[in-house]
Amino acid sequence: MTASSPAVLLRAQGISKTFPGVRALHQVNLEVRSGEVHALLGENGAGKSTLMHILAGVFPPDEGSLHIDGKAVSFISPQAAQAAGVAMVFQERSLAAPLSVAENVFFGRQPVGRWGVIDRPRLHRDTLAVLAELDIQLDPHNAVEDLAPAEQQMVEIAKALSLKARLLVLDEPTSTLTETETTTLFRVIGRLRDRGVGIIYISHRMAEVFKMCDRLTVLRDGEDQGTFEVGEISEEQLISRMVGREFCYRQAEQVRPVTAPTAALEIQGLSDRTLLRDINFQAHAGQITALAGLAGSGRTELALAIFGARPITAGRILIHGRPVSIRSPREAIRAGIGYLPEDRKEAGLFLEMGLAPNFGAAGLDRFGCWWLDDRAMEEQAAAAATRLRLMNLRAQSVHELSGGNQQKIMLARWLLVQPPIFIVDEPTRGIDIGAKMEVHELLRKLADDGATVILISSELPEVLSLADRILVMREGRLAGEIPHAQATEESILRLAALPHSTHAHA
Amino acid sequence: MPESTSTPINPPAPVTRKGGFRLTRETVLLLLMLAAIIGAAVAFPRSFPTWANLTALLRNMALDGVMGCGMVVLMVSGVFDLSVGSMFSMVGVLTAWMMTSAGLPPVLAIPAGLAIATLGGILNGWMVAKVKVNALIATLGTMQVFRGIAVLVGGPGIANLPPQFSRLGQTEWLGLQSPIWLLLVVAVIGQFLLARTRFFRKFYYIGANPKAALLSGISVEHMQIFAFALMGLLAGLAGMTFAARVATATSTSGDGAELRIITAVILGGASLSGGRGTVWGTLAGVLFISLINNIMIFARLSPEWQSIIIGCVLVIAVGMDRFLGRKK
Repeated sequence: MTASSPAVLLRAQGISKTFPGVRALHQVNLEVRSGEVHALLGENGAGKSTLMHILAGVFPPDEGSLHIDGKAVSFISPQAAQAAGVAMVFQERSLAAPLSVAENVFFGRQPVGRWGVIDRPRLHRDTLAVLAELDIQLDPHNAVEDLAPAEQQMVEIAKALSLKARLLVLDEPTSTLTETETTTLFRVIGRLRDRGVGIIYISHRMAEVFKMCDRLTVLRDGEDQGTFEVGEISEEQLISRMVGREFCYRQAEQVRPVTAPTAALEIQGLSDRTLLRDINFQAHAGQITALAGLAGSGRTELALAIFGARPITAGRILIHGRPVSIRSPREAIRAGIGYLPEDRKEAGLFLEMGLAPNFGAAGLDRFGCWWLDDRAMEEQAAAAATRLRLMNLRAQSVHELSGGNQQKIMLARWLLVQPPIFIVDEPTRGIDIGAKMEVHELLRKLADDGATVILISSELPEVLSLADRILVMREGRLAGEIPHAQATEESILRLAALPHSTHAHA
Repeated sequence: MPESTSTPINPPAPVTRKGGFRLTRETVLLLLMLAAIIGAAVAFPRSFPTWANLTALLRNMALDGVMGCGMVVLMVSGVFDLSVGSMFSMVGVLTAWMMTSAGLPPVLAIPAGLAIATLGGILNGWMVAKVKVNALIATLGTMQVFRGIAVLVGGPGIANLPPQFSRLGQTEWLGLQSPIWLLLVVAVIGQFLLARTRFFRKFYYIGANPKAALLSGISVEHMQIFAFALMGLLAGLAGMTFAARVATATSTSGDGAELRIITAVILGGASLSGGRGTVWGTLAGVLFISLINNIMIFARLSPEWQSIIIGCVLVIAVGMDRFLGRKK
């Protein structure tokens, strides 16, 4: 892929970093050439973010050296790293939301005229120039808070470019993007590569790595597992290097049979004010029903509407054939519905709290009617943690835990309540492969034990391996169901992304 | 099957909390108070460590303490109420007006006053929880509305309250005056409720992450309206007690109480972003402010020093807290 000369842009050698009690990195090497997209792979907790923080000057390494263009550098601050041409685009946006695109791209470096007044025409011209270089279509006047997440990410990349970044780090850049947005992002990455920028690309999505990247480096438990050309390693080999074992998706052998005469959950004609239109479907006890679809197709909104967390304008919800009125999550839980939210940090966890209160949050009534029995809660939390093989019980607050462990706490919270109908929204997003397999086992077991599991997932292999039935959503409507025999990644995508001439309007 | 996730494995046994000593904001506050008490006792051995002074000190803090018990619930859930000082004055004045101008007996005027206080609190809660007006703005508004009503109805104040009423604020029992007893009752009940009951525990969840609390089945809106109603009730109760104690309802008696109380609650370990705070901590905060005030009087320093010292302690305590506790 790289036609340009393989000039080494960044060389990190023998990087080690120890935090109290944890050896985060041990003798890691990383080499990034200019004009290459270099994937950095590893499970959560493998040391990727520690390494990136060292590159960004957030903290120094204990051992090892960094060279940029062959010159030794040591970043004493994020500003120093920025000055050396290292720019980061993290999952959490670092933009000033109320300000315009232009103000953000040239944040703190706005061109000024006399008296230090910002030269607005020039600011907008310069911004347009940067955006044009990347072939990004955005109005520099728009406020960043009005943009879609993908567009905000573009603003971050444009900002990095305007900083004359030579090395750009993209951390899970596609995790919140739709297919189209991902395509746009890849085009922009291609442009940057052509300009000789070195890109470190962190992603859990193998397909993207194989599509976009030139080389890759694998980290496992803080140790460097080697650097490979993308062509010389297979997906299976790669995964086994990441996890230290072979991994493959277990295909769903058989569709679980429908046993009860009436559906455990039936949705009739459900609509909401902005997105959902006339949704009808049934889900049966003892089965995993998947809701597939692109980001923005309304799957999460549908889940929230069923769970009483989003007002509906029409439609009925029936549980075992009986209509129920659900106006709040509290009533939904009473009616026997549980919901594992998509964004566990935003909508699921109480990050500053410990394990036990996070575990007990949805089932406080199990620990006493008036008085709350904290000891029972802690004991049951500990027992649940052991069952789910949740490590690091001593964590004072759950934000210290890895993504996989956080997700296990979320699951434990609902296993305590044991909702007969359980909606799980992206249950394995951003967690490592080991934890992912455990979550899959758990969902299978819930269905085997008779629960009605509704799975929302953007990861098609996950849908294919777990679901008994696959429903596909598109633009707020149910686009159809794919019979189990015909279900492939391709058939799901085709139904999910079928071009639509008219946009739904009420 | 996977052997482990990539997290370091800790033996899954001890779930009990750390037994060791931790330097929290509350303990720092208690140590500071201890030092201040010892210092004052040494400097003024005749007048400071006396029963008379102790009861004076407790009486001064009592009504702030009562309101602090309501405020800490709000702050645990991530909001606060700026209208408590105005509520304090307004309810005192309205109750007094009902007994003097309207000629209602105290038996009716008192519950009516408390009902008004609760309704005012519900109004605050409704605006914050349902209409989603920011708590600062909503209660900044009602603060001025309540203050205006107090002056409109009572002018500068209403004196000559019926003795059956003022007696309620002046009786002594076991050497302690009724406001102190009120504080003791409210604080003991409040501590138990906030620390031990399932209902009040939900406020900690709401403060820690309102969205997650909602999705865990907690009725965030109802809970917040309840907390504001409770705050209103306690502020009204305190205002009424004060009017009874001095036998006069002054229209400005509660001015400035809101910031003093919020300061006390924060000194006692709460944070503006919610999820933390205890009734004991709040009482310690109120006591601290009252103690500094008391010592200033003995030291014959002008009251402005109190303001300076409390301001410094607030900022230092919170700053130190971040430094000690929140290192990651």
